[in-house]
Amino acid sequence: MTITVDSVSLVLGDGDQKVTALESVSLSANAGSLCAVMGPSGAGKSSLLAVCGGLLPPTTGRVTIDGQDLTAMTENQRSRLRRERIGFIFQQSNLVAALTTMDQLLLMTHISGRTPNRENRDRARDLLNEVDLSHRAGHRPHQLSGGERQRVGIARALMSEPVVLLVDEPTSMLDQSRGREVVELLAKQTKQHGVATLMVTHDQANLPWADQVVNMEDGCLTRAAAGGPQS
Amino acid sequence: MFLAVRDLAFAKGRFVLMATVIVMVALMMVLLTGLSSGLVDRNISGIRALPITHIAFEFDDKPTWSNSMVERTTWEGWAEQSGVNAAVPLGNTLFNARTSKGDPVNVALWGMEPGTFIDPGANIGQPIGNDPYGVVVSRMLVEDNNVEIGDTIVLDRVLTELKVVGIVNAHNNIAHTPVVYAPFRLWAEASYGPPGGALPGESLPDILYDFATVVALDLEETADVAAIDDAQFTVTLDKPMSFVASTGYTAERDSVRINQGFLLVISTLVIGAFFTVWTIQRTQEIGLIKALGASTGYLVGDALAQAFMLLTLACIAGVLVGYGLGTYIVDRTDIPYVIDINAMLISGGLVIGGGLVGAALAVRTIAGIDPIIALGQLR
Repeated sequence: MTITVDSVSLVLGDGDQKVTALESVSLSANAGSLCAVMGPSGAGKSSLLAVCGGLLPPTTGRVTIDGQDLTAMTENQRSRLRRERIGFIFQQSNLVAALTTMDQLLLMTHISGRTPNRENRDRARDLLNEVDLSHRAGHRPHQLSGGERQRVGIARALMSEPVVLLVDEPTSMLDQSRGREVVELLAKQTKQHGVATLMVTHDQANLPWADQVVNMEDGCLTRAAAGGPQS
Repeated sequence: MFLAVRDLAFAKGRFVLMATVIVMVALMMVLLTGLSSGLVDRNISGIRALPITHIAFEFDDKPTWSNSMVERTTWEGWAEQSGVNAAVPLGNTLFNARTSKGDPVNVALWGMEPGTFIDPGANIGQPIGNDPYGVVVSRMLVEDNNVEIGDTIVLDRVLTELKVVGIVNAHNNIAHTPVVYAPFRLWAEASYGPPGGALPGESLPDILYDFATVVALDLEETADVAAIDDAQFTVTLDKPMSFVASTGYTAERDSVRINQGFLLVISTLVIGAFFTVWTIQRTQEIGLIKALGASTGYLVGDALAQAFMLLTLACIAGVLVGYGLGTYIVDRTDIPYVIDINAMLISGGLVIGGGLVGAALAVRTIAGIDPIIALGQLR
């Protein structure tokens, strides 16, 4: 398994303010498969994503990515793992305002402490081509539509050749048809790049593209169901 | 510097505004430096021009050029000591005077034995010594009071008539007063003799010539200054320290330095405030980039590089404008101002250093930004 979540619990806050965000959550995803985590707001979906990405340490349990135990790592090691093995795709795309589309991708090389070489630039171009944004390479986020921004986010997440993609509500800010396009693209890239994708969503319309669907409620996985790729 | 450069280009308006403030601070620092050097120059340029290593003052806790008085036995005693290459009397008296064109002037009459090592000679005209009333004047008197060779300068009260025989091509001053180099006897008579000089047919008593203000010294390093001071009842200061003994020097230098200090503190705080606001505005973005895997070190380094670029470019501009304005002040005005390239570069460097301290204090908040804020629902 590329990503394994094993009996993870997460308690946030102290004393009377304690909230159990995750309770004994276990799931896993293989390379090339898209796992959708469904559930209403406040169910703990984003907390799960934060734990899987090493942004929050679980209170108990283990998360392994590509065989590496995330929960045993220092903050610096987790940052490095995020740079090299994990691709994040956020709500509203979360692009850097000052950067062009091409630079959003090259940023991933820079934060690894390297100056982009020809190979990096070629990869960025290829990825922009795959998400059909070659013609927008020189545009900044404010010049792009919501769907385009989300596609840039997908290309950026794939830039560092990750093994896991963590996707947070990719369609929440898009209309239905644009949302469908984005999830379809995500499913396609998951297969093409052989990554294990964990997608948090509350939108039922996104499920047909998932290989696996799990439901969350009050921090617990309530039901796991096999999904199926939409043709 | 990947983000730094792109941020500078993207948020041009904000950075141009900040850069303008830094340019103004650097400009003020440079102008104050020039003014400080100018004031110092007007105060001690005459002393600085002396080819001395030390000055011996009459013993005093706080020796000054205006209060010191040494005797003949003192300079002769100094001259006999080992390690003393030369010890000669130097008289300094400030006079109100009037030029032959009728202009009132203040002069510092300096008495010295003609031909001794402190005699400046003359760049134009004759040195002192050939004519008992012949004096050499600082270029300051030529420029400010149109004094020319052949003019006379009459000292008020004592009515001594000085004949200008030569000019030194330097703005030599002491305590903001142009120096007039005179033969020692002429200085002694003007300073200690009766108004109008000796009565016809009489001469002034020899004791008149046995006093001077200080002893000008040329010492070897081997000279035992403390022991000679004890023996001669003097206080000897090396050349730079002797500047402090000039009236107003310390106050002028310190008041300008206090201004420069305040300016530096203000610029550090302003730059710190700017980068604090800038960092707060970027919180979401910094959280995002951390979530993508950037280390705090990478982000702090990038932010400091941005501050360094902004500060350097703005300071270069400020120093260049300061240089231009300084040139104008020197050429077109009477404001005491000196263009000192090293001092200007140091001023610019201080603004950069102070600004980096301010920026460093501001960007340390980057360390506290949690990447979790990149996940919308957990913000």
